[in-house]
Amino acid sequence: MLSIISLSLFGILNLFLGFLKSRRVLLPATLLFIALAFAANLLDWNHQYVYFRDMLRTNNLFINFSSIILLTTFLTVAISRSFGTDEEHTHPAEYYAIMLFSVVGALMMVGFENLIMLFIGLEILSVSLYVLTGSDKRSLRSNEAALKYFLMGSFATGIFLFGIALVYGATGSFNLSAIGSYVSGGPTTGISPLLYVGLLFILAGMLFKVSAAPFHFWTPDVYDGAPTLFTAFMSTVVKTAGFAALYRLLTVSFTGVYGLWWQVLTGVTVLTLLVGNITAVYQSSVKRMLAYSSVSHAGYLLIAVAAKTPQSPSAILFYSLAYSIATITGFAVLILVAEQKPIEGRPDERYEAFNGLAKRNPLLAFSLAVSMVSLAGIPLTAGFWGKFFVFSTAVDRGMTNMGMVLVVAVLMSVVGVYYYFRVIIASYLKTGDSEPIGIRPLYRFILVLTTALTIGLGLFPDVVRQLF
Amino acid sequence: MNVNYIWYFLTFLTLVSAIMVVVVRNPIHSVLYLILTFFCISAHYVLLNAQFLAAVNVIVYAGAIMVLFLFVIMFLNLREYTAESKTNLVKLGAAVLGGVLLVIIVAALRSMQIEPLNKATYNSQVGMVESLGKVLFRDYLLPFELITVLFFVAMVGAVMLGKRETGERNF
Amino acid sequence: MSLLLLIPLLPLIGFLINGIGFRKIPKTLVGLIGAGTVVASFACVLFLFLNFDGQPRVEKVYDWITVGNLNLSFSFQLDQLSLLFMLIITGVGSLIHLYSIGYMKHDEGFGKFFAFLNLFIFFMLLLVMGSNYVILFIGWEGVGLCSYLLIGFWNKNANYGDAARKAFIMNRIGDLGYLLAVFLILTNFGSVEFTDVFRQAAGLKAGNSTILWITLLLFVGAMGKSAQIPLYTWLPDAMAGPTPVSALIHAATMVTAGIYMIVRSNLLYTLAPVTLEVVGWIGLATALLGASIGLFQNDIKKILAYSTVSQLGYMFMGLGVAAYTPAAFHVMTHAFFKALLFLGAGSVIHAMSNEQDIRNMGGLRKALPITFLTFLIGTIAIAGIPPFAGFFSKDEILLHVFEHNKLMWGIGVFTSMLTSFYMFRLLFLVFFGNFRGTHEQQHHLHESPLTMTLPLMALALLSAIGGFFNVPEVLGGGAKLANFLAPLFAAAQNVRPEAFAMAELSHSTELALMIGSVAVAMIGLAAAYVIFISRKTVPVGEGQEHGLQKVIYHKYYVDELYDAVFVRPVNALSVFFHQVIDFLLIDLLVEGVGKFVKGLSKEFRLAQTGATGFYIFAMVIGIAALLAWSLRGLILG
Repeated sequence: MLSIISLSLFGILNLFLGFLKSRRVLLPATLLFIALAFAANLLDWNHQYVYFRDMLRTNNLFINFSSIILLTTFLTVAISRSFGTDEEHTHPAEYYAIMLFSVVGALMMVGFENLIMLFIGLEILSVSLYVLTGSDKRSLRSNEAALKYFLMGSFATGIFLFGIALVYGATGSFNLSAIGSYVSGGPTTGISPLLYVGLLFILAGMLFKVSAAPFHFWTPDVYDGAPTLFTAFMSTVVKTAGFAALYRLLTVSFTGVYGLWWQVLTGVTVLTLLVGNITAVYQSSVKRMLAYSSVSHAGYLLIAVAAKTPQSPSAILFYSLAYSIATITGFAVLILVAEQKPIEGRPDERYEAFNGLAKRNPLLAFSLAVSMVSLAGIPLTAGFWGKFFVFSTAVDRGMTNMGMVLVVAVLMSVVGVYYYFRVIIASYLKTGDSEPIGIRPLYRFILVLTTALTIGLGLFPDVVRQLF
Repeated sequence: MNVNYIWYFLTFLTLVSAIMVVVVRNPIHSVLYLILTFFCISAHYVLLNAQFLAAVNVIVYAGAIMVLFLFVIMFLNLREYTAESKTNLVKLGAAVLGGVLLVIIVAALRSMQIEPLNKATYNSQVGMVESLGKVLFRDYLLPFELITVLFFVAMVGAVMLGKRETGERNF
Repeated sequence: MSLLLLIPLLPLIGFLINGIGFRKIPKTLVGLIGAGTVVASFACVLFLFLNFDGQPRVEKVYDWITVGNLNLSFSFQLDQLSLLFMLIITGVGSLIHLYSIGYMKHDEGFGKFFAFLNLFIFFMLLLVMGSNYVILFIGWEGVGLCSYLLIGFWNKNANYGDAARKAFIMNRIGDLGYLLAVFLILTNFGSVEFTDVFRQAAGLKAGNSTILWITLLLFVGAMGKSAQIPLYTWLPDAMAGPTPVSALIHAATMVTAGIYMIVRSNLLYTLAPVTLEVVGWIGLATALLGASIGLFQNDIKKILAYSTVSQLGYMFMGLGVAAYTPAAFHVMTHAFFKALLFLGAGSVIHAMSNEQDIRNMGGLRKALPITFLTFLIGTIAIAGIPPFAGFFSKDEILLHVFEHNKLMWGIGVFTSMLTSFYMFRLLFLVFFGNFRGTHEQQHHLHESPLTMTLPLMALALLSAIGGFFNVPEVLGGGAKLANFLAPLFAAAQNVRPEAFAMAELSHSTELALMIGSVAVAMIGLAAAYVIFISRKTVPVGEGQEHGLQKVIYHKYYVDELYDAVFVRPVNALSVFFHQVIDFLLIDLLVEGVGKFVKGLSKEFRLAQTGATGFYIFAMVIGIAALLAWSLRGLILG
């Protein structure tokens, strides 16, 4: 709760900082704000609070999820550099403020106890992202992506809201546990069909936000069009928050109809895994590949949700953490590499741009390799354990239920190796430019940190898992 | 006169005007039909004993938002929607899909039982401003406050994106 | 800190020092650190070995991970098997590191090379020391990675990069099998710890279908790593790496990981007779195939590579007839003589200024006397001529095979004749006759420096006497290795004694078999002598082969076959998917509905939104499908 309040205030403070002549103070100030919110968040560790007449619940799960969100936001902000110093057209204060506000939305989605809170949180997050997607105003691609995202997002929001209304119609409450007791307690007349339809609409809305097939169509276009920094932000924070919300909603309120949504989720999972991974193979742009890869990771995360075992939350947490860190590293390297040789004023995001990276800057190449290996799920990296925990939840649920999903997931993770390794191969085995790439100290620090985290979590996953 | 007849009439009017919004070619007519739809819905609210909501719906949607729509349409001078942009096939596809969805939902909901109103316990004040205010500022205080963040983001974003920059291309 | 922990740690330290500072540390120091750490680790292993009391022990380093009631610990297991492999890895590894100092002296990537080599030793040790299937897997993947890095070490050549990728992909196919097996083990036994799994498995009946699947899948993993049919084609291509790498990774250690794993899981395999049969026949087929391809190859390293494939096949054949000890014994002797042969080949290549085609060599025995002598020993050892190492181990495998199946034995003996033939062909073509290379090369011929010849001599010594570690009773030996390893198989012997039962062969039969196989090897030698020394035949040039020879020269066109059967269909499939997703779904389907896309795209161009309408259309279809499917009960009922 404290973190939500403080972040809202810090966002406003950030806007005021924008009046200052010097923009140098913005980046450190924002980092400080996020760090403060992170600390405020930790104060409630091992306490359970319910705020404002059952609107928000904080517990260790909330703190874990929000810590991951704040950590990824911190990392994303730390690698933001192109705006803030160079151009007069950019509005760094606003960007940072909107990022902070969007985190408020994300935290609401993690801790909601009432569907209204979930809806508002989702909207804050989405609206912020529509703006951030279009923030590169002079790029037609960015404009297009923002409008596209907005249109489709509004549509999904409409569906989602309709679903909430139907659920309210069936149960007479927005409160999660009240809905839960309606669903599992079983009213005398039986569960109203309204609830089923409402649940499915809510699911469709949420699946849109986490970009699961067949609601993923916006993802590649929007991720591709948005400024890369915000793509990194979107693909990590939204996913973590979305899955936290999805899991919470489904387990607290709708455990009683597990048979219904389990079917939906397994079907969607298989489709998502297939579409995400197979389409990623044929991309020629690394950024687009990462967009499809984010679709595919939504598929893996869905496995843990669909399995719904006591281990699921920790599996989702670990996977989100591993995925977020690796994705941010990947995008960070992409930002640097792509802007080296712009094509017609646009960053060169093709695979070819990575040729010979190992010679140009070994650190970049190594971080990239580690992050790709982690995303591919190869042992000794965090990504492997993420996949391992997720798969083991499915195994716990039983092969008759999850066998098919598991087979597809394992096969698709092999496909994943192919496209992730293309980047590594380009940077290590191919020759390209030899002009070295320089990095600023903070950037270097972040890359070293994320790489170390990826390997560290791969070696000692239990260090973090004890907290989950 | 039985209230039921009013309800049937209103519902019929709502559906017809909603369909007309989609069907008519002239965007201004379309907006006018939309306003009619909103009025019908407001009338439904009244029937449901939600007077405040009915008023707000008229003021905000039929009033403010629709005027904005009209402004935009007039600014852009979209008198007639470009004809070739929607072929019959598009319409057919959309209509079939919408029809299928409708059939599915109706079929799914047909077994639904609606409990009749219990006149003894019914609180006639439920839709009034007072009870609404109590709920909003007591139970839903937190979402009410946090929604400001949403508006704030929307506002900042709109200003930021809408502001014309030097060197930016004009449409 | 325990000595056990120190063993893998030392090479890791070497890797870290060389890996981080390879640009700054002088070459001599790099070599010293690289080789020194491995030698030190060998010393530790030796110390442990000498003090080993026969009691296996598991030493936990730390609790690695806890999932539910599964507790994975990072722990090492010290027993007879891991000791044997540790000795081979660090022992042969030390020699090869030493050799590399001389061999790689002029390479600019000297530091990087040693860093990778140390890393490899680390992972390989992890592989054999781990006390559960997961640690084994980490080592397994790690050595795969190192092999990938080292095959592509000279990455300026694009072919080498391709070879590296081929190795990696083929290994990944195998790894998938291994991983599935581990998952199966986990679900069935609730643990991946060797001791736990085997204790529980010991209570099961032979022919249990779960065990069958586990062992088959594990064997798929072994196929990839140990280059068995059908996943063997990467190994010959892997010769793109520097020669010490070929010697260490692709002959002596990594490729035997599959054998280690099966010997480690001997209890499971004993319980799955069907798998054993599969393993045996695949091993035999691989042995025959490798040997026959080796007959007509002209690249010195390729010949040795196919010979490795063939010898690995032998080991699997041994495993297939539950001859675990002989297989492990053959791993050991093979490590000696194959490392020796590769290093000798490296020495030849070194002297010939990177020439690898044996048609351009000849008469080198005068210029390279030490190399020649050691190579000769290696050749005799691999051909199976007593009293050198290969004879003892190979003969023991054949003996067990004879027990099991006479047809298998027949083919095995035939293969051993082929082996003897192609090895002597290689020897004669390289070291005898007249020099066939260029003048420049002849002028440049020289014996290698001491750092290179010293390991050669050491390995030659081991190849010569290695067989005496396990002399069978019939020859008056004590079968020391067999006794040493015996406790490992006690449990397996308990559950299914008949798999191990040797119908007591009379000593005379045993002797007759030995004499037979020696005779066969001699026939191979004689044939090679007649063709290549008496008649002075030189293999014909590229493209002039004909008939069967041509087929064999082109490795039975297996690469082409794989290309046609797997690679191209996958490509076709990818194109297909590409078109389905991008073209069929978005373009064709929509275009098929008429001017849908045209109409939409015009609209979208106005609004600059791409194909949002279509996306939403798809979403609504998705929602409709979702509703219809999940609520079918409500809708229909």
